[in-house]
Amino acid sequence: MRVAGVGAYVPRFRLAAEAVEDALGQSHARGVEQVAVPDADEDALTMAAEAGERALDAAGLDAGAVDAVHLASTTLPYEEEGGAGRLRSLLGLDASTESAQFGGSTDAGGAALAAGLERDDPTLVVASDSPRGADDDPLGHAAGAGAAALVLDRDGPGRVAGRGSQTTTYPGTRFRERGSAETTGLGITSYDRQAYRETLAGAVDEIGTEGVDAAALQAPDGDLPYRTAGALGFDAETVAAGSVVKQVGDAGAASALLGLADALRDGAEDVLVATYGSGASSHAFRIVCESELPVAAALDGDRALSFAGARRRRGDFDSGAPEGGGAYVSVPSYRRTVAARHRLVAGRCRACGALRFPPEGACGDCGATAGYEDAPLRDRGTVETVTTISQGGAPPEFAPQQARSGEYSSAIVAFEGRAEDDGEVSVPVQVVLADEDAPVIGDDVVAVPRVLYDQEGVRRYGAKVLPAESRRRR
Amino acid sequence: MRDAYVVGAGQTDFGSFPDESYRSLFATAVDRALSSADGLAREDVDEAVVGTLGVGGRQLGLSGPAVTEFAGLSVPTTRVENACAASGYAVRNAVQAVKSGMADVVLAGGYEVMTDASGDATKYWLGVSGETEWERLTGATFAGTYAQMARAYLDEHEDATVEDLSRVAVKNHANGSENPHAQLRFECSLADATDAATVADPLTLYHCCPTTDGAAAVLVVGEDVVADHSELDATRVAGVGAASDRVGLFERDTYTAIPASERAAESAYEMADRGPEDVDFAEVHDCFAIAELLAYEDLGFCERGEAPHLLREGVTDRDGRLPVNVSGGLKAKGHPIGATGAGQLVELWKQLTGHAGDRQLDSPEVGLAHNVGGSGGAAVVTILEAAGADTAEVQR
Repeated sequence: MRVAGVGAYVPRFRLAAEAVEDALGQSHARGVEQVAVPDADEDALTMAAEAGERALDAAGLDAGAVDAVHLASTTLPYEEEGGAGRLRSLLGLDASTESAQFGGSTDAGGAALAAGLERDDPTLVVASDSPRGADDDPLGHAAGAGAAALVLDRDGPGRVAGRGSQTTTYPGTRFRERGSAETTGLGITSYDRQAYRETLAGAVDEIGTEGVDAAALQAPDGDLPYRTAGALGFDAETVAAGSVVKQVGDAGAASALLGLADALRDGAEDVLVATYGSGASSHAFRIVCESELPVAAALDGDRALSFAGARRRRGDFDSGAPEGGGAYVSVPSYRRTVAARHRLVAGRCRACGALRFPPEGACGDCGATAGYEDAPLRDRGTVETVTTISQGGAPPEFAPQQARSGEYSSAIVAFEGRAEDDGEVSVPVQVVLADEDAPVIGDDVVAVPRVLYDQEGVRRYGAKVLPAESRRRR
Repeated sequence: MRDAYVVGAGQTDFGSFPDESYRSLFATAVDRALSSADGLAREDVDEAVVGTLGVGGRQLGLSGPAVTEFAGLSVPTTRVENACAASGYAVRNAVQAVKSGMADVVLAGGYEVMTDASGDATKYWLGVSGETEWERLTGATFAGTYAQMARAYLDEHEDATVEDLSRVAVKNHANGSENPHAQLRFECSLADATDAATVADPLTLYHCCPTTDGAAAVLVVGEDVVADHSELDATRVAGVGAASDRVGLFERDTYTAIPASERAAESAYEMADRGPEDVDFAEVHDCFAIAELLAYEDLGFCERGEAPHLLREGVTDRDGRLPVNVSGGLKAKGHPIGATGAGQLVELWKQLTGHAGDRQLDSPEVGLAHNVGGSGGAAVVTILEAAGADTAEVQR
C-alpha cells in the first residue's frame, strides 16, 4: 500500500506559553511556544472528520470508495462506544466500510497506520487527539490538539520504503487512570527519556535513516525529540522539519503524523515518521514521495487566546448544561437524520425534483408526499438571514457552549445541490466564530462538523457553518 | 348558518402573580366574563374551549378540564394548543360550535403561568414553539427566530430602521401605561428602546414582549341567545379566519411576511365581507416589534415595506386613523401565551361595547384581532362588529 494523500486539522485557537506563565506563574512545556486549543464544540471526533475530509480531498478519493477506516485517539469522547461509527457518518463512508479503533497510548497513530498498510484496498487512517494534564504538570502545559489523516491506496505518490516497530516495558512514564480526564506521569526524567529513546530507536533501527529530509518524531514536548535525535542519527534541523510541537503542543496520537503533514507541505520528499506511546511501544515508517504527495492541512493558528479564554473553552468555568431540560430530540430521532445533520444530505422530491431539507414530509414546492432521493448539498452556501444570540440568551442545551465560546449566530443558509440541475434549499445552521466574524445577509459560509450538544450523556454532532473567509483550507 | 356573538369578556390583570395558580387565574377570568354578560349565568354555559401551551408542564394532559372544573364549569371542555395562538383558536372553535348549532353558549378562554419557573426552565419553555428538531438545534431562541425575520426585513426594505422597531415599543408602552390590566405600565422613549441591551440582534429588550401570567375568557353565543337577552352587550363575530404553515422559518418561502397571517386575514375579511379599510382598530400579535410591522402588511393595512411609515406618521397611535394595540399589545399588556388571543378579544369587546373606561376609543364599529402561533406556524384573525354597525357600506 502507498500513501495517496494527507490531511491535517489543528484548531485555530492558540494559547501561548507566556500566557500560561502569566496565569499560573509557571510553564514547563519545553520547546513549546504555544498550544492549540479546540473550540468548545470541537472534540477528537470533529477534528478527525476535518482531517479525514481533507485527506480524501487531497487524494481525490470519493468517500464511498473507502474500504476501511482506522481511527486512533486517546481522547475520544467515550471510553466505551466506538467512534468510527460517527466518523463514518460525518465523512459519508459506506456502512460496508471496515473499521478499527486504536487507543491506549499515543502510539495509536502509528499502530493504525501499520495496520492500514497491511490492507489491500483504500484505507483512511485518522489520528486525532486533545490530551489534557493538570495545570501544575508540564504535561498539562504542553497539551495541544490536532488530527492528521492518510489515505492509503495501491497507487499513490508516497511509497512506504521501510517500517519498524518496537515494544518495550516501561510503566509509569505517562498514564491516565480510568475515569480521569487528565494524563499524568511520575516525572522521572531520566527514566522517561530512556523509555522514549530506547523504544523509538528500536523501531527506527529497522529502517535506514540516510537521506531523510525530515524526521517526524512523536513530540510530547519540544525537547525530547531533539534530545533523542542524535541517538537516532538525525540532526536538529531534520527533526524540526518534521515537527509542529512548537506551535501546536502535544497532539498525542496525531503528533508524528501532523509532523509528516507539515514536512510534506514544506516540500520534504523523504520523511521518517516515528510514533511513540507510553508502556511503551513505537512504530516507524519511511515515506518516500515518488511524485508530489498531495496535502491538505489546516495547521496554522489565527486566534490567540488568553489563559482564561482557553480554559473557558475547555469548560472549566461553567457548570455544564443547566437544569430545566433542553430540546428533546430522542437518540433514535436524531440517528434517523444523521445524513442530513452530519453531511447536509437534502432530498430531491420524486414528484417535482425540488430540493427539500430535511428530506422528510410533504414537498414544500409541490406538496407531494412521493418521498425523496438523496441530494447531497454543496458545502458552501449563502446567508439568507442571521441573528446573533446575545450572551446568556442561549437555550439550555446551548448554554454551556455559549458560556465557553461566547455569542454565536443562528442563520438560515441557502445551499445548492451538488447535481447540475439542483436548485437551492434553505438550511438552519449555527455559525461558528460569530462573536468575531458574525456574517451578514449575502455572505458565503462553509459547512464544518461540530458538536451540537450533549443530552442524557449522548453527544450530538451536526454541521455548523464558518464564514467562508475564515476557512483555513491549507 | 346562524350568527355568533361575543356577549361578555373578562380577564385577569396580566403580570406576575406568585400567589395565584393557573386555575385561580382562569377562574377569575371566567367570573369576570360571566359577570360582564348580563342575564347569562354559569349554568347557561354549554361547552368550554381552553387554550394553553402548558408552559412549565404543570398539567399537560387534561389541561382544559383542570381549569374549567375548578371554575365551576362542568361542561364538555376541549383544550386547544397552537402555541401563542392557542386561545385565538379557542375562540374560533367556540364560534364554530355556536354557528353549527351544537352549542348555544360557549366559553372560550386561555391561561398561562410563565413567571414561576427557574430561569433555565423558562428558557426551555420559551423555545418549545420553535421548530425543535432543526431550527432549535442551531441554538435559535424564539427571539432569535423573530430577529432573523427582522434582519431580513431591514435588509429587504432599505428605508426601514431599528428605530422603526423601537416605535412599536414606544407606542405600545404608551398604550399599556394607561391599561390597568397591563403588565408593563410605564412609557419608554425611542432611545430607551433602541439603546437597550440586545437580546438577539437587531432586537433589544424593548423589542421583546415579557413573560406573563394571566387568563382571559369570552362568551360566544348564538344569535337566538342575543335575541332572548336584549340586555346583553353583543358584538357580532363578523369574520374569523385561520391558517397554518410550516413551523420552521427556514421551511417557508419568505422571512419578511407571515403567510399564515395573510391567509387567515383573507378568509376573515371574506367571511365578514369587509376589507382592511373597514377596520377601525386592531389588536395585533406584537410578540416582538418586527411582528407588528409584519402584521400591518400581512393584514393589508399597508403595502409591503410601508409599515414603518404607518408608525412614523402616527397612523396606528391611539389617536391615529387606525389605532393598533391600544391595550398595550403583547409588548406592554403582556403575553401569557395561552391567554393572549382571548385577551385580544376582551379588548375588542370592551372597545366595541363602550366598556373601555378612560381608554375608550371614539365609537369604533369594527375591531380586528390577530393572533399568531410560534413564528407563524398558525394564525387566526377575528373581526368583531359593534351592535348597529353598518355592514352595507364602508365605515370610513
